[in-house]
Amino acid sequence: MEPDVSMETGSMIRIAVLPVGGAIPHHQLREYAAMLGRHTRIDLSSISSFYKEHQKSPFAHQPWETGCLRFKYMLGGAPPSPWEDFQSCRKILAVVGLCHCPSSPDLDLVAEQFAAACKGYSSALAKRCFAFCPTDSQLEDDGKKRENIILFPPSDRQTQEFHMLTMVQDLAATLLMEFEKWVLRAESTGTILKTPLDSQSSLGSEEVIKAKKRRLGRAQKTIGDYCLLAGSPVDANAHYSTAIELARLTGDVFWHAGALEGSVCALLLDCVDQKDPVLEEEVKYRYYTVIQLYRRSYLQDNAQRVSTVSFELEAALKLARYLCRRELAKEVVELLMGAADGAKSLIDASDRLILYVEIARLFGTLGYQRKAAFFSRQVALLYLQQDNACAAISAMQVLTMTSNAYHVQSRRASSKLQTSHHELGPSHGDGGKLHPQSVVSLFESQWSTLQMVVLREILMSSVRAGDPLAAWSAAARLLRSFYPLITPAGQSGLASSLAKSAERLPPGTRCADPALPFIRLHSFSLHPSQTDIIKRNPLKKEWWTGSAPSGPFIYTPFSKGGTTNSNKQEMTWIVGEPVQVLVELANPCSFDLTVESIYLSVHSGNFDAFPVSVSLPPNTAKVILLSGIPTKVGPVSIPGCIVHCFGVITEHLFKDVDNLLLGATQGLVLSDPFRCCGSGKLKNVSIPNISVVPALPLLVSHVVGGDGATVLYEGEIRDIWISLTNAGTVPVEQAHIALSGKNQDSVISIAHDTLMSALPLKPGGEVTLPVTLKAWQLSMVDSEIDSSKSGGSTRRISKEGSSPLLVIHYAGSWTHSDQSNNTENSVPPGRRLVVPLNVCVLQGLRFVKARLLSMEIPARINEALPKPLYVDKNPTDVVSRDDSMVKIDPYRGSWELRLLELELSNPTDVVFEVNVSVQLDNRKNEHGMPILNHENADFGYPRTRIDRDYSARVLIPLEHFKLPILDGSFFAKDSQTSDAFCSKVSNLAERSAKAELNASINNLISKIKVRWHSGRNSSGELNIKDATQPALQASVMDILLPDPLTFGFRLAKNGAQINGFSEESIISDDPPSQCVNGNVIKCKGCISAHEMTHMEVLVRNNTREMIQMSLSVTCRDVAGENCTEGNNATVLWAGVLNDIPLEVPPLEEVKHAFSLYFLVPGEYTLLAASIINDATDVLRARARTDSPDEPIFCRGSPFHVYVVGTA
Amino acid sequence: MIVCVAVVGHQNNPLYLQSFTEADDALKLHHIIHCSLDVIDERINNPKKSGPTLNEAFLGLLYPTENYKVYGYLTNTKVKFIMVTTDLDVKDADFFRRFHAAYVDAVSNPFHVPGKKITSKAFAQRVSSIVKSFGSAATT
Repeated sequence: MEPDVSMETGSMIRIAVLPVGGAIPHHQLREYAAMLGRHTRIDLSSISSFYKEHQKSPFAHQPWETGCLRFKYMLGGAPPSPWEDFQSCRKILAVVGLCHCPSSPDLDLVAEQFAAACKGYSSALAKRCFAFCPTDSQLEDDGKKRENIILFPPSDRQTQEFHMLTMVQDLAATLLMEFEKWVLRAESTGTILKTPLDSQSSLGSEEVIKAKKRRLGRAQKTIGDYCLLAGSPVDANAHYSTAIELARLTGDVFWHAGALEGSVCALLLDCVDQKDPVLEEEVKYRYYTVIQLYRRSYLQDNAQRVSTVSFELEAALKLARYLCRRELAKEVVELLMGAADGAKSLIDASDRLILYVEIARLFGTLGYQRKAAFFSRQVALLYLQQDNACAAISAMQVLTMTSNAYHVQSRRASSKLQTSHHELGPSHGDGGKLHPQSVVSLFESQWSTLQMVVLREILMSSVRAGDPLAAWSAAARLLRSFYPLITPAGQSGLASSLAKSAERLPPGTRCADPALPFIRLHSFSLHPSQTDIIKRNPLKKEWWTGSAPSGPFIYTPFSKGGTTNSNKQEMTWIVGEPVQVLVELANPCSFDLTVESIYLSVHSGNFDAFPVSVSLPPNTAKVILLSGIPTKVGPVSIPGCIVHCFGVITEHLFKDVDNLLLGATQGLVLSDPFRCCGSGKLKNVSIPNISVVPALPLLVSHVVGGDGATVLYEGEIRDIWISLTNAGTVPVEQAHIALSGKNQDSVISIAHDTLMSALPLKPGGEVTLPVTLKAWQLSMVDSEIDSSKSGGSTRRISKEGSSPLLVIHYAGSWTHSDQSNNTENSVPPGRRLVVPLNVCVLQGLRFVKARLLSMEIPARINEALPKPLYVDKNPTDVVSRDDSMVKIDPYRGSWELRLLELELSNPTDVVFEVNVSVQLDNRKNEHGMPILNHENADFGYPRTRIDRDYSARVLIPLEHFKLPILDGSFFAKDSQTSDAFCSKVSNLAERSAKAELNASINNLISKIKVRWHSGRNSSGELNIKDATQPALQASVMDILLPDPLTFGFRLAKNGAQINGFSEESIISDDPPSQCVNGNVIKCKGCISAHEMTHMEVLVRNNTREMIQMSLSVTCRDVAGENCTEGNNATVLWAGVLNDIPLEVPPLEEVKHAFSLYFLVPGEYTLLAASIINDATDVLRARARTDSPDEPIFCRGSPFHVYVVGTA
Repeated sequence: MIVCVAVVGHQNNPLYLQSFTEADDALKLHHIIHCSLDVIDERINNPKKSGPTLNEAFLGLLYPTENYKVYGYLTNTKVKFIMVTTDLDVKDADFFRRFHAAYVDAVSNPFHVPGKKITSKAFAQRVSSIVKSFGSAATT
C-alpha cells in the first residue's frame, strides 16, 4: 500500500530526488528540495519549446493548451514496487540528484555517484543532477560537458528559481518524449506485463494461452497509464475502454479493475473543473465496481504470498478521499470502517500502518476528530511494535497529535491553537469567568480511562524515542490531571520518571506543562503603607479629600460606579517597595515534593520576583509568602508562578487551578487537590488590577520612648513625642496632620509647625513632633473591667481601639521625579500614615458626688460698712494669697458663703494630690471697673492629698463670681426671659433660657480647675463639669447675681453722724477699740447695755432702676425672739423701725438712722428687710416670681451685735 | 447481545458507562463510545430537517465497527445514550426509551449533581435489567 493515494495518483509522474555528493547541510537540502518541490504541475504549453516531435506522437488528443504533467517528488527515492507493471504510476520515471557543490568539489565523483544511484532505478527514463552553488573552478570545469549534471550558477534566489523552472520544464519535455517512445514501442512490439498475482511457477499450456489472450488487454491498459502520465486523458480513456473490454472478455479481473480505475482517473482529469452530481455518481459507481473487482480477484491459493486486499483498500480509500465531504459523511464512514476492518487481512505491518494513517487522515478531514484520534493511536501502537527509536519518535508524534482530541494536549500546543483565548493577565476583564474552552476541557477530562492510556503511551514512546522533554511533559500531565486515579506506587513511579527525564535535560529547561504542586492565589498580603495610597486631587489644596475611600468600607455607594471594572479591586504598588503575595501550594500525591524554587511570574517585565524554595510532605498544603519588588511604572499582571520542580521550570497559572477548583465544586473533575490536602475552601480570589506607580515617600512613625501604650490616668496631660522618618527614596514635600478615631478631643495640641518646618523631608530625614494628650474620661461603655486585678477591686481601663489616631497625609512633589515615558499628566499619588496614639487610660480619681454648700456668716456691726468685694482695693484681702487659706474676717461684713464640695475617691494604687484653682478672667464690666483686680487670677488653695483607697472632700469657694450690678444685662441676653413674664411663655423662650443658664453654668465651671499630681511626672486635670453641673443648676443665679438690695448696718457716731463716708474720721476712744491704719473700728463688745446706740441702716440699690420700698429693721435675740416688739421687749428704740418708705436711686445708697437701747447684754442680730413696691421685671426675675402682683420681699444679711454690760 | 451502554452528557462528558462482557475490553469499549460521539456530533450539527425525523430522538445505527454495531439516542437536552451490540438489530427506540426513563429517574434524585457521573446503584441495576431483557430477547 502506498500513502497519500487519491484517484489522481494514476496521472502522477514519480521522480526520485536523491542527494548526491558530499553531505549537504540540512537547511540547504531542504531549500533545494523545496525549490524543486514547488514544480508539481508543469503545463504542456510551457514545455513545447523543449519538446521535439521525433515521430508522430501517439498521444493524438494531447491538450497542448490546457493539459499538464504532474510530478510527484519522492525525496530519498523509493524501492521498486512489484506492482510497477500493473500501475505505471508506481514506477520511478525520473531521478533528480541534488548536489551541493561546496561540499563535493570533485564533479566527476559526483557524476559517478549519481550514475551509481540511478542504477537502482531501472525504470527511470530521465536523469538529471542539479548542482548548486558551484565554485568558479567548477564552473570552468563544466566545460567538459558532463552528462546529466546541470550547474546552477550562484545568483539571487529569483534567478535560481527561474533556472530551476526551466530545468524542470526541460525534464518534463524529456519525459514526454520518452513516454511517446515507450508507447510507440509498446504498440509496435508489445510487452510482457506481469504482476505478482500471476503464478510464475507452473505455467501450464492452458495458462499460457490465457496469458496470451490477456496480454493485449494489459498492454492497452498500460498504454492508457502512459497516456495519463503524459497528460492526455482522452487518449488514455480510449485505451482504457479497449483494455476494459479485453479484460472482461478474458476474465482478467484484476486488470479489469485496474483499467477501470485508470478510466476514472482519466474521466476526472478530463472534467477537472466540473463537479456535477452526475459525474460523482459515475465515479462512485465505477469505483464500487473497482472495489468489487479487486475483491473478486482475491485468490485464496496465493493469499499467503500476494494479496489484492491492499488494492481493494486503496480503492476504498481513494473513493473515500474523493467523497470526503460532510454531506457524505455516512458513506465515507462506512467505506473507512470497512477499510479498517480489512486491515486484519493485510499481511504487511507497514501496509496496515499506512492504512490506519490514511483512515485517520480522512476521518480528520471529515471532522471526526475522535475517530481520527482512535486510528492515530492505532498507528502509534503499530509504530511502538517496531522496536526502534525512529518508530518511537513517529509514535510519539502521532500520539501527540491525538492528544488534542482526548484533551490531554500539552499546553504549548494548545496555546498555539487558542492564542486568542490565551491572553495572559487579569487585565482583560474576564478573570472571574471561565473560558468556554476550559469548561469543555473540564467535561472532557472525564474520559480519564482513555486519557490516561494516551498519556501513558506518550510517556512510554517519548522515553523510548529519547525525548526527555516530551516524556517530562507527559508525566507531568499525567500526574497533575490524574493523580487521584494513580496508586501511590504509580505516583512515585511518575515522580521518578520526571526526575529521570530531567536528568537528561539541560538545567534550566522550561516546559509548558506544569507538574506539581497545585498553586492558587491565597491573598495579597497588604502592608498598610500599600493600602494607604491616596490619589491626589491637583485642584484642591487639601489634595487628599474626595479621592480616598473615607471610611472602613471598601465599597461605598458613593464611589464612582458604572465603570467596567467596578467589581475589580484596584491595587497600587510602588516602585522599589517590596510587595508580598500569599499563595497556597498543595501536594496531593504520596511522595515528598521539593520545589526547588518558586516565584511570581510576571509578564509585564516590571517586577523582580524573589524565589523561595519549599518542601511539601505528602498530602499537604502550605501557604507561602512570595515577594518581589516592582521596578518600573506600569500595570503588573501576575497570572501565576514560575516553579522549578522536578528539574524543569514551568509556569503554573492561577487561572487553571481556579478552573479546576470550580470544576471540583461542580463535581466535574476528579478531586480538589487542596481539599484532599486538608486545606479549607477558599473563596475565589480575583487578581486585582495592579498598577505600579513611581517611587513615593514613605513615612515611618515611632513613638519616642517606645511604641507601647502610654498609660495615663483619666485626665492626665502628657506630651507624646512622635518621630516620623522618611524611609522612601523621594522627599516628602507636603504633609498634613489630622485626627480621627475615637476620643479626638483628648488631643490638646499637635505641633503642626514642627512638621511644616521640617518639609521637605529628605529621604532618611526624621522629624519629631510633640502631641499633647489629655487622657479622656472613661465611661462605662468604653472601658472594661480589669478583673485580673486581685482583691476584687474593680479597676477600669480603656478598651483597645479607643485611642485617637493621627492621620498624616503626605506626598512627594507634584511631578514625576523619574523620566519614565509616562505621558499621562497624572500626579503621583500621596499617602496616608495612620499613627495610633496608643493610650491606655486608667481610672484615676473618681467623683463620688458634688454638692453646693451654702452658709451665711453674720457680720459684726461696727462703724464701717461691709466692704463690697467688687470695690475691694485693699491688699489685705480676705483671701490672702500668702497662706492660701480661706479666712473669714468677721468684720468684713456679712458673708453669704457658697462652697462647692467635691467628694473624690481614689480607687487607684497611687497617691493623688489635688489642687483646686479658680481662674478668673479680668473682664471689665461696663463701668470700666475691673470686677477683680487680681493680676494673678489663680487662687491657689492648698493641696489635698488623697491616699489610695481613700476618699476626700475638696471645697471650692464660689466667690468672686458675683456681678456688681443687677440689671437686665444678665437677662437681656435673652429678652424673652423677661418678656415671658408679661407675654405668653413660649417653649422656645424657655428652652433658650435653659440653654443660657447652662451656658453660664459652664462658664462658671470652666473657671474652676481641679488639677492633680501623682508621682513624679503624672499630672492632670479632673473633669468636674458633668459632676458639678447638676449641683449648680439650682443656685447659679444666687452665685452669679447680686441681690437687688444690699443692706448694711453700722454704728453712727453720737447720732449726729449723717455722712455715710465718715469712717475715716471716726476716732474711738473706747477701751476695746483698735487703731488700724487710721481706721478706727469699734472692737467687739463696744456696744454697752443701757446706753443709747445710734445706728444706721444702709440700703444700696444694685439695680439700674429707682426702687421704692418700705424698709423694716428687726432685732432678734439669740433665741430668735423679736426683741423690739411685744410685752417683753428687751430692746428699746428711737426712730422708725418698721415700714419706712424709702426711695433708692439706682446704684446709690440711702441711709436710715435709728437708735437702739439694749436692756439686756448679750448677743443680738439685726436684720433689715424691705418690701419692694412696683418691682420691675428684672427684680421679679431675680426673685424668681412670676406673678405680677406678689410683693417682692428682700432680706439683708444678718448683723451680729454684741452688747456688753450688766443686766 | 448488548455489550455496552453509555450515557454521555451534553458536553460530551461520560455520565455512565457500563459494559456487559466478561472480557477485559473496557478500554476498547471506551474508545468505541468515544468515537461514536463524532457521529452524534455531526447529527447534532447537521440535523436532518425532514418531517418524521424532526423530533426523533433515536439516531439509529451510528456506525459499524469490527464486530460491533453502535446505536445512538439523543435527547432534547443533548444527552446521548449509546448502545454497543454484537448482533442485535435495533429497529426501534424501545430499548432507549426505557433507558432514558431510567436516566430521568436517576437524575431526578435531588442529591444528584447535574454533569456529574451517575453513581446510583439503583440506576445500574435498572439498566442491567433492561439490558438483560433485551439481551435475552435477542438470544431467543
